[in-house]
Amino acid sequence: MAVRHFVPAATNPEKGLFVQSMLQHLVNGLIQGGIYALIALGYTMVYGILGMINFAHGEIYMIGAYLGIISLAVLSTFAPIAGLPILCLFIALIISVAFAAGYGFTIEKVAYRRLRHAPVLSALISAIGMSTFLQNYIMVAQGKENKAFPAFFKEPLTSHPYLVGSARISLLEIVIIVSCILIMLGLHLFISRTKVGRAMRATAQDKKMAALVGIDINRIIALTFIIGSALAAAGGVMVSMYISTTRFDVGYMTGIKAFTAAVLGGIGNIPGAMLGGFLLGIVETLGVAYISPDYKEVYAFVILMLVLIIRPRGLLGERLADKA
Amino acid sequence: MKRQVITWGWAFGLSIILLGCGTKTDVIKLGVAGPLTGDQAKLGTDVLNGATLAVEEWNAKGGVLGKKVVIVSRDDMAQEQQAQSVAKELAGEGVVGVVGHFNSGCTIPASVVYHDSNIPMITPSSTNPYVTDRNFANIFRVCGRDDQQGKVSADYAIGTLKVKKVAILHDKTQYGQGLADEFKKALGTNAEVVYYGGFPKEELNFKPIISAVKETNPELLFFGGMYNQAGPMMVQAREAGLTAAFMSGDGVFDPVFLKVAGASAEGSYLTFSRDPEIIPSAKSFLDKYREKYGPYGPYSIYAYDAANIILSAIQAAGTTDCAKVSEQIRKTAYDGAIGKVQFDAKGDLASSYYIMWVVKGGKLVTCEPR
Repeated sequence: MAVRHFVPAATNPEKGLFVQSMLQHLVNGLIQGGIYALIALGYTMVYGILGMINFAHGEIYMIGAYLGIISLAVLSTFAPIAGLPILCLFIALIISVAFAAGYGFTIEKVAYRRLRHAPVLSALISAIGMSTFLQNYIMVAQGKENKAFPAFFKEPLTSHPYLVGSARISLLEIVIIVSCILIMLGLHLFISRTKVGRAMRATAQDKKMAALVGIDINRIIALTFIIGSALAAAGGVMVSMYISTTRFDVGYMTGIKAFTAAVLGGIGNIPGAMLGGFLLGIVETLGVAYISPDYKEVYAFVILMLVLIIRPRGLLGERLADKA
Repeated sequence: MKRQVITWGWAFGLSIILLGCGTKTDVIKLGVAGPLTGDQAKLGTDVLNGATLAVEEWNAKGGVLGKKVVIVSRDDMAQEQQAQSVAKELAGEGVVGVVGHFNSGCTIPASVVYHDSNIPMITPSSTNPYVTDRNFANIFRVCGRDDQQGKVSADYAIGTLKVKKVAILHDKTQYGQGLADEFKKALGTNAEVVYYGGFPKEELNFKPIISAVKETNPELLFFGGMYNQAGPMMVQAREAGLTAAFMSGDGVFDPVFLKVAGASAEGSYLTFSRDPEIIPSAKSFLDKYREKYGPYGPYSIYAYDAANIILSAIQAAGTTDCAKVSEQIRKTAYDGAIGKVQFDAKGDLASSYYIMWVVKGGKLVTCEPR
């Protein structure tokens, strides 16, 4: 394996080693956090607009991962591009995002639209049902086993890691972190600068008023689901590449963590979801590395409890939690 | 019209109930319990298939004590609480014996139920020592024990690999942590344990823990857990630059581990039983299994033998009386597909069971000479 040395092995052994190991753990944490943040955005956007928790969102993330792996399997049979792994990855990502967006759109139409004026609890039950259905559907359709991410496609991204002393950071890890940040930046600009984004914010503030000024509420809500699902699917593809596998039940725990991240940042608040995601991922990873791996699930929820005791509306949720 | 439908419905429903009651005395029910859904569903299905094959053979020969044998299968979802309620259901069904459960964590609570109702139970796969250490008269296993497995692993690590620094990970289950602890105990003072930690059995992102393990520079990574985690763990470990050798137990011994881990699995050491392919008595079972269900699972053959042992003990005892059947199972040596099966006083196999395997060229091969 060819490797690139950036820093000569520690000149000041004790201090150098700590910094290098810290760097490694921070990278791990940033990736985990970035993924949580991408999924948390979907939860928070839907909550901001509909005031409900879309529990099927974690499943979209899982479906995204499966779609990525399946598209790669299909692409590898097309001779002209099969030899270009990066291009294939990119196409697979696009296919996966597009299909997952379709899933999000359909879920909203099938499971939530008719319940929009029903009590919130009905929509919640519908969401849980949708989540169970999707999980079992994938289990039956794709099997109960781990699905391996084809090693060939990720190889160019992982085979030449950068060595910073003892820390070892692959191009893949950098790509994931950068993509997460770019996607979030794009979303932020979309919501704050475009006309459709303004319509989304208006809908989140007051659906009836927004309809009166000529905003097609149904379209905006559908769009929210589409964007949220696309983000989750992008996260799913990146994670399956990163951990080189996926399984039908990965959406459950990740979904809960991402939901925690959304609450942590202040549910309904978009920058809050990003902040919450990163905070959760980093705390979790550092906890595993420096305290003990046995309590991995505990760290996330301890942070959540502490934050909610001090700031019941979450870190950035100071205003009423109805901002998209 | 509506009333007519209801009347017919009642008649139909009642006749089904009668049908069910009527056939009850004419068959011998053999219970099979294991995870038939969930993330370990494949292993449970392997067991069910193995036992089904045994029952079909008995039925083709005219049944047991002149009665047809039917399988009553129950899904414990690899969950402890579920296992206990499933065991109560099976006891309520009046099964004459149980093949199962699969996971040690399920077998232990379930065996208490079987012990109370005196039903003979043979697990094809639960290796936690506690299963038989309680000396229940009706609980047996046709597989090894974790302390034997941990000992074989530790002996190999110290004796053959000559490692000095070992990292140990486990999945916090009764099986995984049990195996990890037995391994640690068997290492004694011959090697230093530089890292010891566990994670939930659903975890798939091992990068954080692997980074922490890597900093301790172990020569060997031992994992107490299942194949569905070992596969991704190995890929991530090699990507993270962890060069330590990898060793694990029978839970990882599965083709899916090789498939998911790919090249990263190369050189992994796994303890498992002897290769059924080179046991002459296993051939006819393996052929039949392949023909009917496709590739066999690692525990299919043990489930097959377990079912055969229970049924032949009933035949030999001439009764389905549970206490007598258990006594018969304990005292008789049985010529099974895996070879001669003789139980010791605890209900464990009297003969040794584990040997070391290694992944070479993408395939699992025995370390012992053939």
